[in-house]
Amino acid sequence: MFEKLEAYLEEISHYLSGREEREEILSEIRSHILEKTEQEFGETSGSSLGKVIAAYGPARRVAERYLDGRPIIAPALKRFLFRYTALLFAGHFLLTVAAVAFKRSFLMFPILYVPSMGPFEALCYLPTALLFDLGVVTLILYLVTQSKKDLRLPWPKFSVDLDEVKVPKRTIGNVSGLLAMTALTGAALYFYIRYGTIFFVNLDFDAHQPLFTAAAGQWYSLILIGLWALGAASLAFKLATTSPWVDAVKAGLSLVLLGLIFRVPLDTALVGRPSQLPAGLVRWLKLSLTITVLIICVSVAADLIKALVRIGRRKLPRTRMAGQNRP
Amino acid sequence: MDPEAGHFETEMNRGFLQILVLAMLEKDMYGYAMVRTIRDLGYDVEENTLYPLLRRLEKNGWVKSKWDVSEDRPRKFYGITDAGRGLRTELLNIWNKQDQILEHIMEAKNHV
Repeated sequence: MFEKLEAYLEEISHYLSGREEREEILSEIRSHILEKTEQEFGETSGSSLGKVIAAYGPARRVAERYLDGRPIIAPALKRFLFRYTALLFAGHFLLTVAAVAFKRSFLMFPILYVPSMGPFEALCYLPTALLFDLGVVTLILYLVTQSKKDLRLPWPKFSVDLDEVKVPKRTIGNVSGLLAMTALTGAALYFYIRYGTIFFVNLDFDAHQPLFTAAAGQWYSLILIGLWALGAASLAFKLATTSPWVDAVKAGLSLVLLGLIFRVPLDTALVGRPSQLPAGLVRWLKLSLTITVLIICVSVAADLIKALVRIGRRKLPRTRMAGQNRP
Repeated sequence: MDPEAGHFETEMNRGFLQILVLAMLEKDMYGYAMVRTIRDLGYDVEENTLYPLLRRLEKNGWVKSKWDVSEDRPRKFYGITDAGRGLRTELLNIWNKQDQILEHIMEAKNHV
């Protein structure tokens, strides 16, 4: 009959581990529950005990009321969790892209090691890097909070202040953007189905000359069409919602697609093609395309950071409100 | 009730419960008896809020406690200390002042 009560007290005890007065707290709760059961139900049965325990509240919530409530990260520092993680991950991301593009490793012992890797390894590496960055920033903010010192944490001023990142409005711009992106995606699909690529050296489609080899042309075309389709889909979602998750998901998926570009290196994509192009122009093409893809990656990463900051800022007031309601 | 209003109620209850407990403990009482007394007065108190509050008041020296093991079931009795009486007087002064301010404002509003 009392197993239910003992199991409940054991659960509270689990959450109070490390507190000197734990046994006394549990004795008092036990005494209260038994007395209430007897007074209000006349007898102590499993069913009546269960009702009183349920009314007393979930074990974790009960235990939390005895804790002093000092947060792991001070409320004023919480916004830095997202800011610093975003900043750190941006650096991590750029180095990862560079490690893939230039086949180089980057080491800043003991805080950073980005090995030379292929695009698929990079896709697996980036989520781990994000978790690592989050952990490092959390640890630093935890230490700052526990030190109880009134530290002013630095935050660089960007041309776009992340504090001023506004929730985008549903405007006519979204509608026209959606129409344009849909038309672009449709046209690209038409060319891809008809010619197997959307990259041409000339605009004479009767005697068209593809820019890349057949396999590379197909691969790059599909990625570009995917990126445009993603843009169109996100604009369509924005007509229905202003949630920052739309931008975050779009940027995240775009980064995945951009990462896939490196699966077919430009060196092989332009080999022997087109033979009519001078070697100097081919070299220039490789360099300019690599730089363009890197710039797009940075821009998309910035969009992802802004979206994550907006998501973090939306969650902060709720967290603060929940914290205020504790006794 | 509007969830936001519920938050305000929780905030108000927190302060009120402290004064209430200090006012009740002129006579030694144990937790369950306090809950019953408060409920009989028409005010609902969360049991799991009362005990941590008593513990905090005791930690600060405003109430004292002792276990009574003379009966079958041990009970922890709480009573107010001199420091607790001083705090109670201060809190009641604040309470009265707030009440006067509110009354004054509401009266002025009714005369408009």
